[in-house]
Amino acid sequence: MKSWGCPNCGKLAYTAEPLPHTEFHPCPGLKGVLAPMIEVGQKVKVLAVVREDYIGREVVRKDDDGRPVMAVVTERPDGSNDCAVFAPTASFGTSAG
Amino acid sequence: MAWTNSKVFARYVSDMMDNIVAFDLGSDVPKVALYNNVITPDNTVVSASTAYGVGQWAAANEVSQAVQWPVGGVALAGTSLTVGASATTYDANDTASGSAATLASIFGALVYDDTITTPVADQGLSYNYFGGTNSVTNGTFTVVWNVAGIFRATY
Repeated sequence: MKSWGCPNCGKLAYTAEPLPHTEFHPCPGLKGVLAPMIEVGQKVKVLAVVREDYIGREVVRKDDDGRPVMAVVTERPDGSNDCAVFAPTASFGTSAG
Repeated sequence: MAWTNSKVFARYVSDMMDNIVAFDLGSDVPKVALYNNVITPDNTVVSASTAYGVGQWAAANEVSQAVQWPVGGVALAGTSLTVGASATTYDANDTASGSAATLASIFGALVYDDTITTPVADQGLSYNYFGGTNSVTNGTFTVVWNVAGIFRATY
């Protein structure tokens, strides 16, 4: 059993999954952005990264304020980090004339 | 130029419609390869130029690390094809590296069919632009696919 917490909203979770994994949740502390839970006891920062490029017709993920979020980064004190990027959907349209 | 958007390859659609390539997304195993910003993806190129390792998708532009996110990419798992009222969606589980990855200048991904060998091996299905530069240092890099899927056909 693993214990998880969120440094931004305080949410707690517990999992029994034996394989390596990361729990995600829509984080109120990051304005609704899908963010990873952190194993209890770790001191890290979890940050939302705003998309750098224009959106155009891309199907992107946005926070509660409507800002396009490109990724969520987890920074550890030793300089290492995790990065979860939100890939937009590639689309094509079909129609009968 | 460089990356500007996410697109389905036109030749993926036309080769499927024309029965030139036996795509079977119900059983094929596509892979996800990562790329830097040196490339300029184009979804209108010929089939051969959509393939992994060819043209814009050459290994020189690929971002990889042995074991963590190896050359050639990471296989999609948990793939699904869902037919809805306004779209058919191809999706999969989020795709993650090993837990000790160090990767830099990641701008986007090529999703290609690693099962297809003829007439074009490893033909591209789509490319997905992350919206800027991303990196990971001794950690996990995860591609979280949109709730609207990796790619979709709308109607």
